Amino acid sequence: MALHSAIKGKLISVIGDEDTCVGFLLGGVGEINKNRHPNFMVVDKNTAVSELEDCFKRFLKRDDIDIILINQNCAELIRHVIDAHTSPVPAVLEIPSKDHPYDASKDSILRRARGMFNPEDLVR
Amino acid sequence: MSTRNSEKEAAGQLLDNLYLDMFHLVEEHTQCRVNLEQSNASGAILLARTRFQHGGSHCVSTAQIPTENSAEFNALCRVVDSTDGISIERQKVDKSKGFVEPLHWFSVLPPMSLRNAVSKFKDCIELVAESTNLQRQLGEALDWITNLRRSAVLN
Repeated sequence: MALHSAIKGKLISVIGDEDTCVGFLLGGVGEINKNRHPNFMVVDKNTAVSELEDCFKRFLKRDDIDIILINQNCAELIRHVIDAHTSPVPAVLEIPSKDHPYDASKDSILRRARGMFNPEDLVR
Repeated sequence: MSTRNSEKEAAGQLLDNLYLDMFHLVEEHTQCRVNLEQSNASGAILLARTRFQHGGSHCVSTAQIPTENSAEFNALCRVVDSTDGISIERQKVDKSKGFVEPLHWFSVLPPMSLRNAVSKFKDCIELVAESTNLQRQLGEALDWITNLRRSAVLN
């Protein structure tokens, strides 16, 4: 099947809790490609950190993904991988979830901005 | 000597402007995330209301969303990159081309609360695009600042 061949633009992928994934999929970002690879991953309390890390790295390698949305509490679990990704594409956006409000002090890009004034903040 | 001083002054002014840009971008970026959080929370409340009104937690859950074993389908909204930054482009639902209506995974006759939740999450997607543009601009500003601080002109 050639459903994906002539479609303009790139995908938004989602890594997050049930409500985040269901919500963004309802919004129309979800896709399952011809290799049966989804662009989303539902994280629950049983999801291993290694599984989360593998999925994130897989999304980073895919050239049809432009934005990776990840719940900030999930991002905290794989912070070293997120901090190591400095390329603007795909953009990694840390988003709040129902149970974990947005905390600007944890956001990778804002921590980098703070580090312009106080390099010690980067260590924390 | 005076050429070196004027170069240093110009680089210092450029650095000041970049810092100012950075502050504006940080402010906009944070505001955008706060808006995203509000939209996301409204959507989550509407999902909870749908669950409450229509048979418990299983009526809108991950059990209904497609898995690796489901048939392939295309995303209804995609990111289009242009010189002005990224924007979201939406496709019309057309089953023959693989554009399926996500609402129908959950219900053939979706309740009003679920439809309202969809509208909130569509707002979230627009905010995601806005936030991505701001994050990229902020990243560029930070790269410039880092490079300028490392350059020989200021040292």
